[in-house]
Amino acid sequence: MSAGGSGAAAEAVPQNKIIAFGVAGGLIGIYAAYFLVDMVGQYMSFIGALGAICGMIWGAAAVRRVASYGLGTGVPSIGMLALGMGVIATTFGLAVGGIAGPIIALISAAIIGLLIGSLANKVLNMGIPIMEISMTEIATAGTITIIGLTIAMTGTFDFPIVLKQVISTGYIAVIFIAGGLAILHPFNANLGPDEKQDRTLIVALEKGALAMVVAGIVATINEGASGSLTILIGLALWYIGFSGYYERVKRDAYVVLGTGQLPTKEELE
Amino acid sequence: MIDIVGILMANIIYVIAITLGGALISWSVHFVPVGGAPAAMAQATGIGTGTVQLAAGAGLTGLVTAGAMMQVTDNMGLILASGAVGAMIMMSVTMIVGAWVYTYGVGCPPASAKVKYDPITKDRQDLYVSQGTEGHGLPTVSFVSGVIGGALGGIGGALIYYSLMSIENGLPLVDLVGMASVFAVGIFFVNAVIPSYNIGGTIEGFHDPKFKRFPKAVLASLIATFFCSIIAVLSIGGL
Amino acid sequence: MEPLTGMGVLALMGAAATIAGASEDLESDVGSQSNPNSQVQLAPQMMYPHRIYSKAISGEPPSNALMCAIGGTTASVLITAGASAVLALVIGAIVAAAIHGTYSVTAYFGRSASQKRFKQPVYLDLIASHTPVIMGYSFITTFCILVVSYLMVAVLAHPFSLPLLAFIWGITVGAIGSSTGDVHYGAEREFQNVEYGAGLNAANSGNIVRKAESGLRNGIDNSWFCAKFGGPVTGLAFGMTVFLSGWITALFDPTKGDAIGWVSVITGVIIVLILILWNRNIEVAARAAFGTYKEDEVEAEVAA
Repeated sequence: MSAGGSGAAAEAVPQNKIIAFGVAGGLIGIYAAYFLVDMVGQYMSFIGALGAICGMIWGAAAVRRVASYGLGTGVPSIGMLALGMGVIATTFGLAVGGIAGPIIALISAAIIGLLIGSLANKVLNMGIPIMEISMTEIATAGTITIIGLTIAMTGTFDFPIVLKQVISTGYIAVIFIAGGLAILHPFNANLGPDEKQDRTLIVALEKGALAMVVAGIVATINEGASGSLTILIGLALWYIGFSGYYERVKRDAYVVLGTGQLPTKEELE
Repeated sequence: MIDIVGILMANIIYVIAITLGGALISWSVHFVPVGGAPAAMAQATGIGTGTVQLAAGAGLTGLVTAGAMMQVTDNMGLILASGAVGAMIMMSVTMIVGAWVYTYGVGCPPASAKVKYDPITKDRQDLYVSQGTEGHGLPTVSFVSGVIGGALGGIGGALIYYSLMSIENGLPLVDLVGMASVFAVGIFFVNAVIPSYNIGGTIEGFHDPKFKRFPKAVLASLIATFFCSIIAVLSIGGL
Repeated sequence: MEPLTGMGVLALMGAAATIAGASEDLESDVGSQSNPNSQVQLAPQMMYPHRIYSKAISGEPPSNALMCAIGGTTASVLITAGASAVLALVIGAIVAAAIHGTYSVTAYFGRSASQKRFKQPVYLDLIASHTPVIMGYSFITTFCILVVSYLMVAVLAHPFSLPLLAFIWGITVGAIGSSTGDVHYGAEREFQNVEYGAGLNAANSGNIVRKAESGLRNGIDNSWFCAKFGGPVTGLAFGMTVFLSGWITALFDPTKGDAIGWVSVITGVIIVLILILWNRNIEVAARAAFGTYKEDEVEAEVAA
């Protein structure tokens, strides 16, 4: 599947603001969930998923920017790369970092992302001017997504618990792919000459909410986290995301028909 | 805090093995004949899908067979060989069924547009390329190249998994398998994407002029995997 | 384990995998997913607006991996909570199919809306008629893959966990589906309006068939066609992959010693060699049967 055009994508919201939103929202969500679960109760674990959604929206915006240059191969590859880097950095950060785990994970993700971005430009000669910064963004956003969903599943990022409840049980696979698709699907689904930033990003919210629901399903069997509240809030966010998306589709589409014939020849000219 | 230097020195052989595994995966992707979207319309030689996905499908199948073999033996050669065989079987089954579809479903013979004669069978190629296309199907050279690619990718994935499982650590087996499989999948994806950016998403096999670009991707993969392998060894070795 | 039990389990896995492969391909044909969709995508730009469900969920391997990982996760949670395995696998597949449905709808909406300037309408009745079919096929695919993964974990004692195995088989089935069955849809069904027996001429790009036996062609018409060849062979491909990769170790069990393990490796290599020869056979037969597309210029000059 070849995808993307050439040149920079039009942005209603500048990327810097989205980066700030992703990093701040993601870290606040991760740490708020971590401390509130301890202080208030396990049902606060859903905040971790909200942090993850901030990361997904940021990641989707970054994918949109870099994929607009045309990668030579499909958009999905970059999402797989993001989560591949993210899962390595997350495991490392949480394993060695203790309370600073998420920060260490983000820093190592940024280093891997920057490394791969500069390798792509310097060694592979891809010649995409924003490759370094985008790869850094995507790897970091992927890491926030993974940590956020992990907390939503377990209520903590203490590594022994994460290892036992998320990694050994294999639920990391669903975090990997649900997070990855929430980052790459929005732009891939809206690809085309009349793509709009807000319509793309609201899909990230909608898909992030679905990942939140799945995290809630896992949380139901873990003592440290509460599943039902996560699932309910996830479904509510999904509804907001989906109806918001449908509004934007109606706004942007040529015409939305119940059914009907194809446009006539005169109409096309 | 963990003893970074100590762990790295104790496991330096595995850091090197993981890095080599990543480079092998990166090299293997260059062998896999993928035509991308045009091949799905019989418009280009090769398999009609994306590089990353096909390499991942084959390599991960190899990881499954290698993981099963690792349960019952600690013979490194056997584990690597079973990874290679799993990936080769997936790749060759996919290609033979692809050949059925091109021949019986679409009705066009396999032909390469990049070379005039098949380097293995010495068959003429250009006469069998239908008009307005860049070749179609899988001529013998592409098929053999794909099998080699599958084998290398399977060995690379199995080597990474084997090395991760061999790092000295205090983890129970079930946790170790979890950690090793997650790292292996993560490193696999990183090394499947790097070469597909290098070849621009399509290649016919080792006879394709683009194949000569592989040193660049292998170099990039060596650097990236080296970093990933240090991280992986530190995480597993520190537990 | 008794070799006969192992063989029986493997046969069951192979059968489930065959169904999974076939339904995976038909699911991607109803929704027009993956590489052939690039032509459906191009059509409005070439002044051929259409009524085909254009579903781009990031390529088949990730989207199938998502379905299977969600199904495997839900099933694994239910099994941990004490549910019976059969119930857990069914519910897991239902959750996966529901989420896959939302992915399909957003992809159809998004890609069509982004083609405003080419005047491609969004048809709501396509959503209503195709999405349930897509979800039905994705339920079958996910359920069968969960059966394969569950048997591997529970009976064959594979070290990987259920969600991870489901994820990996999801990637593999998607990779196989987009490499085999999709070609039947992309190279033949989409372009039945041009002569049979050639690849798509670049000049015809985007000129997909838009009219059906009755009315305008849609994705369900396409799956009807592909169910005759593309779907079943995809099933065979995935079934063969799952079956053969397990068969060699079931036949020559490596637990009995490394030497037998090496025999299983050699068996695998022999299978691959047979497939290479088979492909060569098809190549020679096809060239003899179909002939060349153009004359050899040098020979033509000599003859003149």
